[in-house]
Order: sequence, then C-alpha cells, then structure tokens
Amino acid sequence: MNVDDLFAIAPLVASVLVACAVLVVDLIAPGRTRVAIAIALGGLVVVAAAVLWVASAGETTAFGGGYTVDAITTFLDVVFIATIALTIAFAPDYLAPRGLPMAEFTTILLFALTGAMLIAGSTDLLLLFLALELMVLPGYMLAGFAKGDALATEGAIKYFLLGSFSSAIFLFGLAFTWGITGTTRVAGVADALATFTAGGGISIGLALGLAFLTTGVAFKIAAVPFHYWTPDAYQGSPTPVTGYLSVGPKVGAFALIIRLFAEALAPLAADWLPVFIGLAIVTMTLGNLVALTQDNVKRMLAYSSIAHTGYMLVGLAAYASGELAGMEGLLLYGLVYAFMNLGAFAVVTALQKRRGVTASLSTFAGLGRREPWLGLLMTLFLLSLTGIPPTAGFFAKAYIILAAVESADPWVNLLAVIAVINAAAAAFYYLRVVRQMYMEEPVTEQPPLSHGRLLWAGLVVTSAFTALFFIFTGPVFESIQRATQALATI
Amino acid sequence: MDAMLPLVTFLPLIGSLVIAFLPRDSRRVIWTVAIGTAVATWAVSLVLLLSFDPDAAGFSYRVDVPWIPFFGIDFHLGVDGLSAVLVVLTTTLTWISLLASIGPIQNRVKEFVIAFLVLEVGVNGVFLALDLFLFYVFWEIVLVPMYLIIGIWGGDNRLYATIKFVLFTLVGSLLMLVAILATAFTYQAATGSWAGAFDYETLRSFAAGGGFEAGFQTLAFIAFFLAFAIKVPMWPFHTWLPDAHTEAPTAGSVILAGVLLKLGGYGFIRFSIPLYPDASVDLAPIVIGLSLVAIVYGAIVALRQTDLKRLVAYSSVSHMGFVTLGIFVSVLIPVGALGREQGMQGAILQMVNHGLITGALFLLVGVIYERTHDRAIARMGGLSAPVPVYATVFGFFVLASAGLPGLSGFVGEFLVLVGSFAYQPVVAAIATLAMILAAGYLLWMFQRVFFGELSEFLRGLGHHLTDMRPVEVVTLVPLAALVVVFGVFPGLLLDLFSVTVEEVLAAVGPAVGVAAGR
Repeated sequence: MNVDDLFAIAPLVASVLVACAVLVVDLIAPGRTRVAIAIALGGLVVVAAAVLWVASAGETTAFGGGYTVDAITTFLDVVFIATIALTIAFAPDYLAPRGLPMAEFTTILLFALTGAMLIAGSTDLLLLFLALELMVLPGYMLAGFAKGDALATEGAIKYFLLGSFSSAIFLFGLAFTWGITGTTRVAGVADALATFTAGGGISIGLALGLAFLTTGVAFKIAAVPFHYWTPDAYQGSPTPVTGYLSVGPKVGAFALIIRLFAEALAPLAADWLPVFIGLAIVTMTLGNLVALTQDNVKRMLAYSSIAHTGYMLVGLAAYASGELAGMEGLLLYGLVYAFMNLGAFAVVTALQKRRGVTASLSTFAGLGRREPWLGLLMTLFLLSLTGIPPTAGFFAKAYIILAAVESADPWVNLLAVIAVINAAAAAFYYLRVVRQMYMEEPVTEQPPLSHGRLLWAGLVVTSAFTALFFIFTGPVFESIQRATQALATI
Repeated sequence: MDAMLPLVTFLPLIGSLVIAFLPRDSRRVIWTVAIGTAVATWAVSLVLLLSFDPDAAGFSYRVDVPWIPFFGIDFHLGVDGLSAVLVVLTTTLTWISLLASIGPIQNRVKEFVIAFLVLEVGVNGVFLALDLFLFYVFWEIVLVPMYLIIGIWGGDNRLYATIKFVLFTLVGSLLMLVAILATAFTYQAATGSWAGAFDYETLRSFAAGGGFEAGFQTLAFIAFFLAFAIKVPMWPFHTWLPDAHTEAPTAGSVILAGVLLKLGGYGFIRFSIPLYPDASVDLAPIVIGLSLVAIVYGAIVALRQTDLKRLVAYSSVSHMGFVTLGIFVSVLIPVGALGREQGMQGAILQMVNHGLITGALFLLVGVIYERTHDRAIARMGGLSAPVPVYATVFGFFVLASAGLPGLSGFVGEFLVLVGSFAYQPVVAAIATLAMILAAGYLLWMFQRVFFGELSEFLRGLGHHLTDMRPVEVVTLVPLAALVVVFGVFPGLLLDLFSVTVEEVLAAVGPAVGVAAGR
C-alpha cells in the first residue's frame, strides 16, 4: 500500500471518518440530534467532493488491481451518496416522535454507504464479497431498528437469515469461480473464462458456480422467485428504512452485478443471459401482480420495487445481448429510481410523523385537500414511478425500452413489450393512491402536521429532480454513457 | 411568426400557472383568467389558421430546437392544414367547455380549470409536434388531466370509468412508444446516426425510400394502430368510451368526444400511413372491416340506450367509424381513380363535424341534467312545451348528427361514402345502412324526450325546469353557426387540408399502384 492507493480510496476513508465522527459526537453529547445530522450531511458533501476529486484524475487503479475507480464507480458513488443524504433528511420526522436514536441511525447508514461505494470500485472477487457484506449488515440492523416492535424484529430476522443464506450461496459460487479460473481479480477471471469458453461449452463446475452466483445476487436484488424476504422486511422496518432498503442495497447489488456479471463473467454472457431474461419476466410480472392487490401503501411500494428490479434486469439483459445502451439504461434507472422512490417514501414518512398512523390506503384519503403540497408531490412521484412523461421515470423507462428494442436478440425485444404492458398495469395501483388523495373524502379530521424543514428540503430536491429532469437530460445521458464506456465491451 | 406555435401550445400553461397562485376562494377571478386564457389561445389559433398558406407543401411556422441532442430528439413543431384545423377545433371547444362549466362545477374550481388548461396544452402539442418523441410526450400528458377531470368531477361511477380510461389508453400508448423507439432505431441502424431519427419529416422520407422492411412495418403499424384505435375508439377497443363519457362532467365529455377522439384519427393520417405505407395498404381491409362493425354496432347499441349521454356516446362510436373508414378506403383506392382523395377528406371533415355536433349534444345533455339531475330518456317527455328554445337547439343538432343535407354532418359522411363506393359498393351500402339507423336512434330519442305530454317526473320539477340561460346559448350558437357554414360551404374546410391529404396519399401511391386505364 502506498499513497496513491490511499488517494483512490479517499472517499471511502472520508465516509468511515464521518461515520466515526457522528458516533463520537453522540457519545460526547448524546441526544444532540441536530449536530449529528449536520455533521453527517456536511460529511457527505466532503465525501462527494472526494469522489469528484478522485474522478478528476481519470481512471485509477489501486491495491494491485483490486480496486478501480472508473467512470462507473463515480456514477454509482454519486447515486449512493444521494440516497444516503436523502434518507438522513427524511428520517428525523419518523424517528423523533418514536424516540428512536437518530445519531446511531446515521452512523449505520454511513457504514452502509462505505460498503456500497466499495462494491462500486471493487475489481476483486473477495473484496466484492466483503464490500457486499459491509453494505448489507447495516441493512439488517436498520430493519430491526425499532427494537420494541415485534413486526420489525420479525422482518429483520427474516431479512438477516435469508440474507446470510444468500451470501453463503454467493460465496460458494465465488469459490467455484476461483477454483476454476485460479484468480480472484475481475480482469483475470474474465481473461481465463474467455480462454475456457473459446473451445465452446462450459464445464459442469463453471455452470454450478454460475448458478450459485446468480442465485446469490437474485436474492440481493430481490428478483422473483428470490424475493420472499422483501415484503416482511420492508413492511416491518421503520418507513425511512424501508425507503432506504428499497433503493440503497438494491442499486448496490446491481453495482455488484455490473462488476461481477458484466465484467468478470462477461465471456459467459451467452450462458447467463437466458436466465436473466427469465428472471426479468417473472420479476416484473409477479412484482406487479402482487402489488395490484395490496392495500397498504408501504407494502405496495415494496412489491412495486420488485417490479422495478425487473425493469432494471431488462437493461442488463439488453447489455448482455450486446447493446451498450442497456447498461446506460440500467444506470439511469438506478439514479432516477433512487430519487422518485425515496420521494414517495418521504411522503409516507411525513404522514407517519403522527404515531399510530398506518400506511394503509385510507391514510391517503383526501390528502390532496388536507395537505395539498404533499398530495401534489406524491402524485408527481407516483406518475414518475408509472413512467408518465415528462417525469424522470418516463425517461428511465424509455431508455431501457430503447435498449431492449435495439438488441439483436428477439427475446430481449420481447422483454420491451412485456415491460410496457407491466408499466401499464402498474398505473392501476399507483393511481389508486392518487384516487385516494383526490377522489375520496378524508376519513380522519386530524389537523395537518407540521413537517420538518429538512424533510421539505429533501422533498424539494427529489421532486425538482423528478419534475425537471427533462431539462437536463444532456449531462445525465453523457455521464451514463461515459460510465458505460468504462466497461469492457461484452 | 416563429413564436406562433409555442404560443398556441403553451399559452394555456402560462394561464394555469397564474391560476395556481391565485387564492382558492376568488372563484370569479379564477374563472375570468381561465376563460380569458382559453379565448386568447383561441384568438392566436384563429390568427394561425387565417395567416398560413394552405397551398404550401409541408409544414409552416416551424420551431426546431434541439432537446436531447444525443438521440437527435428535437423540440420540433410545425403546422399544416390538418393540424391547423384540429388545433382551432380544440381551442374553440376548450373555451366553450370552460364557459359551460361555470354553473355545474362548484367545488375545486381552481384544480378544475388548471386540469382543463393543461389538457389543452397536451392536445395542441399532439397536433403540432413534428418529432415522434415529443409527440409521445404530449400524447401522454393528455392522459393525466383527463383522469382527474373524470375522477374528481365525474358522476357516481366515476372511479371505475376513469381508471378504465387510463388503463386502456396506457396499454395502447406504451406499445406505441415501443414502436416509436424501434422506428427511430431502425433509422439509426440504417444511417449510422441518431440525427433525425425521431424527426417526422426525416422518417417520412426515409419510409418513402423503402427504409422500413415489410415485417417491421407490420409490427410497428399494429402497435400504432392499437394506440390510435383505442383512442378513436374502434370496435372492439371502444368499451372504455361509454363509461368515460357517461361519468365525465359535461365539459369533460365535450372535450373527450370533441377533441380526444380526434387524436386517434389524426394519428392514423399523420403517422401510421406515411411511415408504414406498405403495412397500411396490407392491413387496410381489416381496419375497414372493423370500421364497418363499429359503424353498425355503435348505431344498433345506441338504439337500445336508456341514458341520454350513453346514447350520444355510442353514436360517437358509430360516427367515428366513418372517420377510420374514410381514411382507409382512400389508402386502398389506386392512384388516379375516382374517389381516392374524397374518402380521407371526408374523414377529416367528419372529425371536425363530429367534434362540433357531438360536443354540442353533450353540452345540451348537460343543460338538461343540470335542471333535472337525471338523464334517463324514460323519465323525459314533452319537453318542447316548457323549454322551446332548448328544444329547437337540440333538434337542430340532432338533425345535424343524423346527417341532414345542408348541415355539416352530411358532407363528411357523404364524402366518406363516395370513397367507400369507389373502393367497394358493398362497403358503402353497409355504411349507408348505419346512416338510416342513426336517423332512427336520434329522432326516436328526440321524439321520446321532447314530444307528447309533459312527463310526471318533469312536471314534478315545476319552476326548476327553466329554458336555456344566455350563457348556455352563447356556448351553443358558435357551434350551430359553424355547422351551418361548413354544411353549406364545405370548401372552406376542404381547401385547408387538401394538400395534406394529397401528401399523405402520395406515400401509399407506390404500394397501391395506379388505376387501370390511366
């Protein structure tokens, strides 16, 4: 290790230091929530600055090729930082009335951020696994953050057990890959696999390894049929945690997929593509079908997040079939999804500031009249999640569909059609919330709440991004294209 | 003049932004600003209509600003005869609908007028967009305000009707999005550049040069067809329409029938035929078959209706069948043969006339509903005595809708029949049968509602049963005047879009061939 290596991981170091700083401040002055939040948000600005500083030096490799900062790392880092910052901004309105400690919450999130950023830069299989664990372990803690709540504990235990189970399967797959290729470096694995497959056909050992790896990541991104942990974990968790879990670890797991499947296992793309096409179809369709029947908005958003995983898998499939635009679409979707989904969860969080308020559909009845601004913003996020132009969600969906249409593989073309039919079906359950807000009478006559300034700030950011995305498509498209070019062509 | 098209498109948006900042309680100001905006937009659209040269080929008053340069997506607007006529139809019906809403809309006025003006932005954008991506964006923008208008201010069954409307429309339009993206990509793959890949005129000349192979054309045509057929709506995609029309507030029904259904017919003429000429010719017989079913089926079902609004809704299915029939018989008539242009010209006339006449009929049903809070034909009867003005105006539009010569409804249907006859006399015969049925269901309805003894139900209303108020007359007089003018001088309209029709039909010329003996 030398100084150049430290330069490459400067954002990670910064993020760990900020996490420690929050922890220390909380030890010295417990209960000073505002200070903790200020340090965390200020720290995230520093982390973001560090990311951009490292990125300005071009592509950097450190630790003997085990860690790489390229355009894709930078892009994903920015998404992760935004996700964490927004989650921190939205959390106090929910945590404070319930007496849950904000400082610890922030610390855990910052460690998760470190893990996610480490995934984005890892170009070594072992490091990838460690980074994955560093990202998901805080997730387990957050899921059970409301200690006294039986539902939360149940969800957290399910999440933890299935999560560790899938990590084990994933690790097993990594072992196979290492055993066959003899290296843990991403580039080395790709080279070795390219020579193996040059003769045509893959060995049983490699096929097994591939199966284990696919199963492992499918659990992490909550693809059907490996999604059973999500509804319980999502519903039981405190709402800001649910918002985070539906975005952070998901995009993080996609970062893992990018490094592992799109880079290390790229020579086997023809072998794993059919599996991912199948996963995409059932994930989109089942996620939507189950979301249709939910009358709890939190649970509905949880299932719909499964459907969104399916759309992202369409992008991945398009990429695997040789369309760079597929990866661009996947990255764009991750970014847009983070903003619109966190925004939607923020509105649920805001309503749940009053203790005992559930996230059932009737909570939203008459919201358009009771709290016009929240109703308007929720409508915006829901329209974006549906994919109605000119919201950001539309551009993300269109990009992925374009990639699927461009593909030379007719099965991927078919994915485009299945994706849009699913998007139309999703309108039904998203608009059910709009219907509650504007077309039903309020069931409670409780006076509107006053929401925290931080929450409003976060909502301004997410809604501005969602509503005004069409103005600044240029720079965003440029950055996703630059990021995709960093990958070796499949 | 460059600002003309953005102005006519976005003026309502500016108005709605102003209204958004007005206090909720000052209804008078809100209505004034809303109607003022709508009238101003109408005035701009009239200037547009009068100032542009209908004989010029292609599009006028273009605005072309890069929007997403990487994919060659531009903010590209332009107007030709067809779009000019439909924009003016939209702006006219919008201010009339707003004026007619002052009485019926009593709650959430602010939201209502904002939704209405945003709707106008979307519709005008659809008619003026010359970039396929931009067209799609406007196409979907239309959806949300209409969803809210039906869902918030609609009748008892509004929630079911509005989600049905959204889901039907969305399935069709999202498949169209796939087709749009595939079309652009096909162009990009052939030329190696995204520049112009979404540009309507570029794609049109690319298609004219045989750029799209037959198999692709068929798939893309079907995807576009679904989107447009659902909007028109053609049988069997029409089932959303009776519900949406019946449950929508009066102004919503007027815009839905008068303008939104035209988006489908416009789409066929503007996009389906010029971009996919071979598929249009190949599949036209199927579309003609579906149109005939719609014409006859809509008329028969209208005969059976017991609700005034539902009756007008089903008559829309039948009348809009003439639009698709006229468009696609023109496609199949060989170049140089008699009746080739007439079918499509008739279809466009029929779009305008249907907008005026059915819009008026929905306004009239709204007038009586406001007094009786009922639309059941069975409870009406003998209305001509207590409300003579209303009965006269209603009778006028019933005759116009039934296709009385001298009124505009006749000319459009007649031209469509000319085209149909030139294609296949039996097609014209079936369509004519439906015209007889139309006279049947309309006049029978008129008789049951207005003639005979005053019904028990209406007598019970006593002095609430008043004749039309001045504001209601004001909403209907312009429509009646236009129906007479276009009935007597259809040339006024035909001259506007004859060049457009020629250009569109030129696209299918090679596919359909030249008439024998020419």
